[in-house]
Amino acid sequence: MFKKIEQYPAVTMVVIAAGFIVFGFSTSLLKITDFIIFCIFVLGFDLLYGHMGRLSFGHMLYLGTGAYSAALFSRYVLPDPFLAMAAGILGGVLIGSIIGPVIVRTSGACFALLNLALNQVGHFAVLVPLAGITGGEDGMSLHFNSYGFINFNDLEFLFFFSLGSLLFVVFLVLKFVRSPYGLFLKATKENEIRAQFLGYNTHINKVVTFVLSAAISGFAGALTVINYRFTNPSFIDPTRNVEVIFAALMGGAGNVMGAVVGGTMFMTISNYLARYIVRWEMFLGAALLFIAFKFRKGIWGYLRQV
Amino acid sequence: MLQTIFYGLTIGGILYIISIGLSLTFGAMGIVNFSHGVIYAAGAYALYAGLKTGMSFIPAAILAVLASIPLSYVIERFVIRRLYGKSIDYAIIATYAVLLMGVDGLKWIWGASPLPISDPLGITVGFWGVEMPLYRLLIIGLSLTVFIGLSMFFKRTVVGKIVVAGLQDREAVRSLGIDIDKYFALVFILGSALAALGGVLYAPISALHPYMGFHVLILCFAVVIVGGMGNFKGTALAALGLGMVMALTGRFWGPAAEAMVFVVMILVLVFRPIEV
Repeated sequence: MFKKIEQYPAVTMVVIAAGFIVFGFSTSLLKITDFIIFCIFVLGFDLLYGHMGRLSFGHMLYLGTGAYSAALFSRYVLPDPFLAMAAGILGGVLIGSIIGPVIVRTSGACFALLNLALNQVGHFAVLVPLAGITGGEDGMSLHFNSYGFINFNDLEFLFFFSLGSLLFVVFLVLKFVRSPYGLFLKATKENEIRAQFLGYNTHINKVVTFVLSAAISGFAGALTVINYRFTNPSFIDPTRNVEVIFAALMGGAGNVMGAVVGGTMFMTISNYLARYIVRWEMFLGAALLFIAFKFRKGIWGYLRQV
Repeated sequence: MLQTIFYGLTIGGILYIISIGLSLTFGAMGIVNFSHGVIYAAGAYALYAGLKTGMSFIPAAILAVLASIPLSYVIERFVIRRLYGKSIDYAIIATYAVLLMGVDGLKWIWGASPLPISDPLGITVGFWGVEMPLYRLLIIGLSLTVFIGLSMFFKRTVVGKIVVAGLQDREAVRSLGIDIDKYFALVFILGSALAALGGVLYAPISALHPYMGFHVLILCFAVVIVGGMGNFKGTALAALGLGMVMALTGRFWGPAAEAMVFVVMILVLVFRPIEV
C-alpha cells in the first residue's frame, strides 16, 4: 500500500500536502511551518547522501549560507521576501560551485570531515570577521515587505507558501532522480569506477548534484529566516549537523518520502517529546546507535515493504 | 616570537598525543572515530574529580588515564568491533552517537558550565629573554617522549610490528594465523589512553567544558588528514605544523587560530587529494 504512494509523483505530492494540512490545522501552524522547512533541508541533504552516497557532516553550512544571504539582502538591499529567497538560493549555488569541484573529489570519511571543517570556518566567519554586518553572536532581526494578501507575517499564508515550496522541491527531486541523470547518479553511488568506464564524466555530475543540494539547503535557510524573522549563528552551527543526518536516517535514506517522513518525525520528537526527555542528547545518541545497527532501512523503508 | 614558537610546540605536542589514536583507528579500520573525543574529555574530567578529592596532580593524572581504559574497552567491544568492514557512513554516525551520549553524560555528572583547573606547577622559567611556564615545557618534553616511545614500540616489539603489518595488509597478517582484531583492539585502547593523557595535559592550560572533545576532535581530524591516515611520522609532523599555524595565527589574530587550521587542511587537500 505504501509502495504505491511513491510510484506516481502526483500521488506522493497529494499525500504529503494532505498530511501536512491535517497535521498543521490539528496542532499549530507555526510549528508545522517549521517542520515543513526542515523537510526541505532534509531533501537537500538526502540528495547528496541517499542518492549519491556522500555523507556530508557539514550541511548546516549550506543552510546557514542561504539564511545569511537572505538576511543580509533583506537588511541591506531590499526587504522583499521573494528577492531574499532568490538571494538565499543564489548563496547556496555560489558556495556549492566554489566548494563543490574540490570537495566531490573526495569520498567517505574525507568528504564528511571536509564538510565539517568548512562548516567550522563558515561559523567562525559569521561570528568574527563578518560580525559587523551579521550581528555576530546576537544575530539580527528582520522584517519583510508584504503586498496585499502576500503577507509573510500571516501564519496561514506562510504555512501554505512553505507547503507549496516543499511540494515544488519534492517534485524537482523526484524528476531529478527518476531521469536518466538520476539513474546515472545511482550508478555512481554503486560503483563509480564502472560508471567512468562506461564513458561518463562522473566529476561534472557530482558537482552538479552537489550544487543542487546546496541550493535546496540554501532555499531552506532563506525560508527559515523568513519564518523566524531573525537570524543568528545557530543556523550555521556545526554541532547541529547531526539533526539532519538523524532525520534522513530515521526516515530512510535515498527516498523522497523517507526524507519527508524522517524530517517530520525528527521535528515531532524534538518539539513535542523533548519536554519529557530530560537527557536529550543521550536519547539522540541511543536512537542513532539503534538506527545504525538495527534499523538501517528507516521508517519509510520499513513501511514500503508492508 | 620565541614564546609563540614554544606555544606552538605545546599545542602541537598535545595534538600529536591525541591524534595518534585517531590515526591508528583511521588507518587500521578506516573508521572515523568520533568517540575519541569522549575519552579525551572524560580524561580531563576524571583529573578534575581526582583533584577535587584532594589528590595531588600526578597521582590524579595517572588515575585519570587509567580510568579511560575500561571506558575505551566498552566502546571498542560494543561499538567499534561491530563496525569492521561496514559502510563508513554508519561508522561515522555510530561513533558520533557515542560522542553525543558521552557529552551528555559529562553534563549530567558535572554540569554544563566550564570548570577551571589551575596550573599544577605555577612556576615560570626564563631563558633567552622569554618567560615560559614550566608546565608547557614539560608538555613538550612529554610529547617527545611519547613520540620516541611509540616509534620504538612499532619498530622493536612484536606487537608493534604486527600492528604495522596489519595496517599494510590485514588479510595477509590474518592468513599467518594472527588474530589481528585482538591487536587492533589493544592499540585502540592504547590510543584512547593517549587521548585521555592529552585531555589531562590540556586541562590546566584551558578550561573544562563538556563540548571540549568536539572541538579538539575536528582539529585532530585535520592533523590526521594532513599527515596521512595511519602514517605515524606524518601525524607527528602535521601536528607540529598545525600547532605552529595555530600559535602564529593566534599571535596576530586570536579568534582565527582554529579556523586557520582548517584553511590549511583544505589547501593541503586541494593540492594533494587523498582518496579514502
